[in-house]
Amino acid sequence: MSARAILHLDLDTFFVSCERLIDSRLEGKPILLGGVSDRGVVAACSYEARAFGVHSAMPMKLARQLCPEAIVIKGNAGTYTAKSQEVTEIIKESVPLYEKTSIDEFYVDLTGMDRFFNSFRMAGELRQRIIKETGLPISFGLSENKTVSKVATGEAKPNNAMRIDYGEEKPFLGPLSVRKIPMIGEKTYHSLCGLGIRRIHTIQEMPVELMEKVFGKNGIAMWKKANGIDPSPVIPYSERKSISTERTFDKDTTDVVKLKGMLVAMAENLAFQLRRGEKVTACVTVKIRYSDFNTYTLQARIPYSAADHVLIPKVEELFDKLYNRRLLVRLIGVRFSHLVSGSHQINLFDDTTEMIRLYQAMDRIRDKFGDRSVLRASGMQARTISRFNPFTGEPPPLLPNRRA
Amino acid sequence: MKFIVSSSALLKQLSSINGVITTNPVVPILENFLFEINEGKLVVTASDLQTSMITELEVESKENGNIAVPARILLDTLKNLPEQPVTFSIDEDSYSVEISSDNGRYKLAGENATDFPKVPNVSDDFAVDMSTDVLSSAINNTIFATSNDELRPAMTGVYMNLSDSNTTFVSTDGHRLIRYRRVDIASENGSTIIIPRKALNLLKSTLPAENTNVTVEFNMSNAFFKFNNIKMICRLIDERFPDYENVIPAENPNKMIIDRNEFLSSLKRIAIYANKTTHQVRLKIAGSELQISAEDLDFANEANERLSCEHDGSDIEIGFNARFLIEMLNNLHSDRVSFHLSEPNKAGLIIPEEQDENEDILMLVMPVMLNNYV
Repeated sequence: MSARAILHLDLDTFFVSCERLIDSRLEGKPILLGGVSDRGVVAACSYEARAFGVHSAMPMKLARQLCPEAIVIKGNAGTYTAKSQEVTEIIKESVPLYEKTSIDEFYVDLTGMDRFFNSFRMAGELRQRIIKETGLPISFGLSENKTVSKVATGEAKPNNAMRIDYGEEKPFLGPLSVRKIPMIGEKTYHSLCGLGIRRIHTIQEMPVELMEKVFGKNGIAMWKKANGIDPSPVIPYSERKSISTERTFDKDTTDVVKLKGMLVAMAENLAFQLRRGEKVTACVTVKIRYSDFNTYTLQARIPYSAADHVLIPKVEELFDKLYNRRLLVRLIGVRFSHLVSGSHQINLFDDTTEMIRLYQAMDRIRDKFGDRSVLRASGMQARTISRFNPFTGEPPPLLPNRRA
Repeated sequence: MKFIVSSSALLKQLSSINGVITTNPVVPILENFLFEINEGKLVVTASDLQTSMITELEVESKENGNIAVPARILLDTLKNLPEQPVTFSIDEDSYSVEISSDNGRYKLAGENATDFPKVPNVSDDFAVDMSTDVLSSAINNTIFATSNDELRPAMTGVYMNLSDSNTTFVSTDGHRLIRYRRVDIASENGSTIIIPRKALNLLKSTLPAENTNVTVEFNMSNAFFKFNNIKMICRLIDERFPDYENVIPAENPNKMIIDRNEFLSSLKRIAIYANKTTHQVRLKIAGSELQISAEDLDFANEANERLSCEHDGSDIEIGFNARFLIEMLNNLHSDRVSFHLSEPNKAGLIIPEEQDENEDILMLVMPVMLNNYV
């Protein structure tokens, strides 16, 4: 098989760039974007702020201490989604096959394009077009596979491009820190450091069996990535298998009324999303994380449904079973999985015509005037849960006030 | 104890009652047939505690006695023997059974007949006679719509309501409901029972093809079916059946009359393109045209057909599970059916245009909730 050409595009400090488009006074200044409360985390920060040692996912409190002169912005997911959509449109128009993996990241498969164009030049032109038309800085990496391209983008940043030729992957990765491999997070990085592994080069020289012994299956995957082996394809669009919402509280709570209200609001909104997307679910899951970070989930199978009066009582029932530790709760969440296309099958004895009409009327109002235009009183307190439509093929917008 | 019996005659009787026996019964002895010989007559019983079937046949025997014989081994042996008289010799101390045929001898371990659970007797009962044709058509028309939901036991059986003018059989799983009424069976003593699905399935497969009489006797807890030389006793479902009469709409103003076979085969084709789990199809009736369509977004499949129909009422668009419609139409025999609708989220009724004078069939199906704001 001839070498592939996989392009990875990443918008530089996307949220910050969006804010700068709106307000040019922010240019060249350190900016922190994220939750403004003490519990908030940094969702994004400008390069100027990074110079102070700030990085994303850092607690906002700490970031402010490191960089007191930074401008803190709460951010607005709607603006970012719209801007991201503009970029998506341009990419969609210009290339044969792309995958949107998050709000600001894209993979493009340019395999075989070399016959007609120079892939690198084509990617460069695409980048220039995005910069010109949207005003957002973007970087890319081009190589034989997704992993190497992603690492290359990271190296190219900010606002630049890099190409790794076929066969050059190992020498390119070798001198870099193991932290640069996409699947290696803080935990794995620490265990690798503990083993004296700091450079990718070291992993490249290790036998794969040794990596497997230490890290199990993940070890093999890591070793392959370190050696620049990644056959995973660019997948244009994947059908959602589940939808979920979760929320971390500003302050841990044992207030059952508040917790339940939040769950009801979540379940109600997700049920609406199901109906809007013409889906039904067969599995309901409730998640609780206590203040000690112990996380518990409980799920139940149900007959396929998208009706509030089936799903909400089920969520409450699961919560009652699950919440038994009388401990402060840090996070709760609801997930509907085993989704299939279809609509709620009306039941002769359990559903009344009034109820069905009510759902249809509420859904019509929500579709026209927004998700929060009509809702259950018990869920009114929950103002800050995500309410985006999950069935548009777009990745979820990452709310700045949520933990990454 | 010893008896001689024709291998094929015994096999025929055993096969007709074997369906009762489950593979992993609560009590191990229920994996056996109970053989009871009394003055040249062999009575065989099979049971799963809920349902029991009994059959009898003539054998050559000098003594009386009882034994429980493992069903699986005995049936497999008989199936593979050529037709011939076979001799059963039973050792009443060790419960061992020896079968001798022209081909050889087979020995198997039986069990003590007294351990076999007693089959209940039906007393203080009502009795009603019906032909096998009537009973089997009542079963065939209703059994497919029973529910599998063990949490609602009443709906896992078929409800039977005997009155002085007619008999009504009803089944429902909450999504569809079948009401099958016969005016040729009636009883002075009005009574209602719910017969479990398993018993009806067994009846369905054992009722003889030729038309004979079936005597049905029942009291509050058991029902008793008797035909030819087979008897079946089943425990009834002791639950309240949902109030079905109230959910059947009295007046559905939107009437469509259509050729049953055309409608059925169109649905079967369209259903291939519908989602494999929800089988959802859309019916759009406009003027005298019925449009059936389905799509499966996961595979980008879609299909669309147009049929002509007689339609009286306003235009309507309604969604259904195609499997429900197909099963219902499959069970009807009339050339044309009438489909009565009112609103996109209210029940639809399917009624055959031509019915036997003794029959009255009504099939109800609930739609799916389409979102119609897009």
